[in-house]
Amino acid sequence: MNLEEAIRLRDPARLPSRRDEDWRWTDLRGLLRAIPEPSRPLEPGDIGPGPFDGLPGDGVSIANGSGPEEIRVAGGEVRTVILRHVSRGDGAHASRLRIEVGPAARLTLLESHEGGGSGLSLLGIDMRLGTGAACERLVLSDLDAEAVAVVELEAELEPGARLGQTVLTSGARRQRFETRVRHPGQGAEVRLDGAYVLRERRHADLTSSVRHEGPDGRTDQLARGMVDDQARAVFQGRITVLEGADGADARMAHNALILSDRAEVDARPELEIFADDVACAHGATVGALDEEVLFYMRQRGLPEREARTLLVTSFLGGVIDRVEAPAAADRLRSWLLAQIGAAS
Amino acid sequence: MVAVKDTVDQVAGLEKYEHGFVTEIEQEFAPRGLSRETVAFISQKKDEPAWMLEWRLEAFERWSAMGSPDWARVSFPPIDYQDATYYAAPKAKDGPASLDEVDPEILKTYEKLGIPLREQEVLAGVTGAPRYAVDAVFDSVSVVTTFKKELAEAGVIFCSMSEAVREHPDLVRKYLGTVVPVSDNFFACLNSAVFSDGSFVYVPPGVRCPMELSTYFRINAAGSGQFERTLIIADRGSYVSYLEGCTAPMRDENQLHAAVVELVALEDAEIKYSTVQNWYPGDPETGKGGIYNFVTKRADCRGDRSRVSWTQVETGSAITWKYPSCVLRGRDSVGEFYSIAITNGRQQADTGTKMIHLGEGTRSRVISKGISAGRSSNTYRGLVSAHPKAKGARNFTQCDSLLIGKTCAAHTVPYIEARNGACTFEHEATTTRLSEDQLFYARQRGLPEEEAVQLLVNGFVRDVLQELPMEFAVEAQKLVAISLEGSVG
Repeated sequence: MNLEEAIRLRDPARLPSRRDEDWRWTDLRGLLRAIPEPSRPLEPGDIGPGPFDGLPGDGVSIANGSGPEEIRVAGGEVRTVILRHVSRGDGAHASRLRIEVGPAARLTLLESHEGGGSGLSLLGIDMRLGTGAACERLVLSDLDAEAVAVVELEAELEPGARLGQTVLTSGARRQRFETRVRHPGQGAEVRLDGAYVLRERRHADLTSSVRHEGPDGRTDQLARGMVDDQARAVFQGRITVLEGADGADARMAHNALILSDRAEVDARPELEIFADDVACAHGATVGALDEEVLFYMRQRGLPEREARTLLVTSFLGGVIDRVEAPAAADRLRSWLLAQIGAAS
Repeated sequence: MVAVKDTVDQVAGLEKYEHGFVTEIEQEFAPRGLSRETVAFISQKKDEPAWMLEWRLEAFERWSAMGSPDWARVSFPPIDYQDATYYAAPKAKDGPASLDEVDPEILKTYEKLGIPLREQEVLAGVTGAPRYAVDAVFDSVSVVTTFKKELAEAGVIFCSMSEAVREHPDLVRKYLGTVVPVSDNFFACLNSAVFSDGSFVYVPPGVRCPMELSTYFRINAAGSGQFERTLIIADRGSYVSYLEGCTAPMRDENQLHAAVVELVALEDAEIKYSTVQNWYPGDPETGKGGIYNFVTKRADCRGDRSRVSWTQVETGSAITWKYPSCVLRGRDSVGEFYSIAITNGRQQADTGTKMIHLGEGTRSRVISKGISAGRSSNTYRGLVSAHPKAKGARNFTQCDSLLIGKTCAAHTVPYIEARNGACTFEHEATTTRLSEDQLFYARQRGLPEEEAVQLLVNGFVRDVLQELPMEFAVEAQKLVAISLEGSVG
């Protein structure tokens, strides 16, 4: 099972399926009978405006699989990169990007996933954060309803490094964000957040795995979302604390709102602990909007629709509150508001 | 840190399995190995009707085509199913008619284990003291069932499975395999082919079973396994509380225990099922020996407003693979699961529950407390799911793990599947070690270290202990202490 090989060799038998435990709720083999033809290259004019346009930063695009293969931020440098991953048409493409952030450097990565058509795409990012480096990765995914997309991040941190991530998505026909982090402890900190707003028959999967390999590491995770119509959300989070990684402090929360009787939320928050001096906890909730609160708000004169929007907004807004870059946070907030407005 | 270090030392120094003796009696065995002939042999030994044999043979065919499951977080060398005997029974003429005919060695065994097989022994206590009926299963057969007469007066059928197949075939045929289908999983299928004795309980409509029922399972023979099958049916508006206990001798070989337990609760019925599992856990240093406890337990809340509660205290077995589940089919039915799983030495446990909400207004509650010590591994694995029709389904799950020592592991793997917009699921889990602050506080109040640890561990598992029937809660508390001897007792 390897998506990159499946696309390269056009072999659907290599696609992950529900038989693979980590893909049981995001079955690609059952969905795709064949791997589409390789995507055709895009002209610069086909790309159009992006969601982070106007914010200061260096623009980088990966269009239908072609674009730069590496982004380097030298030691001590402070940089913002606006990365656009654009897919058009019905083809398949896979690309890999290496991101190196040198010691004590800071990178703000504003990443967007756009288009998608009815094709299949994979973006794999390998990230290395040097000692004391920081990276905040803010992802906004607004794909076409028929797209099938997987985005993977493999991050390796040095002691004292900080990785913050917030993924916002409206899903796709099938979509997965998978984040795997090697956490060295020793003052390193990881924040992996996400929010999804899913309607119609859309699907989104937020999967993460954090391995605490050294002592005194922190991981904090907050995922929230709402599903409506026949949409399906998947959350899988695994935190592993290896032997010797004492003093680990890891927290994970996933809260989902189901607004329709035909929507579905599947969650698997996992803890794997091999050290005893740890404080690890996770919480997961799934439920509908609180009718009593709605009643209270309506009684105060708010129309029902507005009351619902307000509740969902404050619920999901908790994820945006944790974003550090203020200008980007405003963009994320207004995108989320628009999604909620359309959904409720 | 000193406190924790001492705790670790004390835990490391323990090894006190007091039920590890062997009873020397004459036994008869099925020929070694597993084939259609073995299945036929068992069926014939139990004097079963033809339909039962057919049922077994079909299970055997299906099992032969299945593979052993590998998804659990436990590791063990492949089991050679041909290198074991599937039937071992104390030699007897036609089965003892009364206790006086039971081999005195067996009676002594149960006496040593503290299980009252004589009704007067149970009665000898203080007037008004709780009584309970016992079905004692020794290897593959039930040696005695107490209080049958008194139970029969209330209309309750409590007997061994073999007897039920002969005496109450209609009930057995109607319910056997309807909760855990023959080919549900590898071990359940094996059990369906070779199952020996277990208990059969039927509580008629509107009857509140006058006493606690219990079964005591004992593996004695070497080179054999135990494959008991238990079926409990609570008819409309009835109530029954059932407890099982189990022990086995200390041996260097691994022995397989693959049981199936099926519970059926009809309208307004309630079943309370409690387990105190204390199979031999194997050598804590080398990991040699011990029981492989691969058990399928499932309850079907078939009727509206029915209620099933599983309570388990798991302290034994080299490997535990066990997920007592509730299928909440009836409207407003309720499922509960309370578990304490303690692993020490080289034990591995992968245990939890499944709460499957199918009916409207169904509710479930899961409280799991895992304690790992030594070099053991303790996994909670659970599933909570709500079907689109299960409007208003509610679940609350709490699983806490406590780690004692640097070489043990604790894992939490919950699966949550919500398929409608009117269900509310809450899940929370924590993993910590004994709190330094709490230990300090308790010691500062003058408690010796050991008592302080005991206090904290007892506090940690209290939510579950209080769900056990009173008389067994005491036993369970003792067991918790012995399992972590040194640190808590």
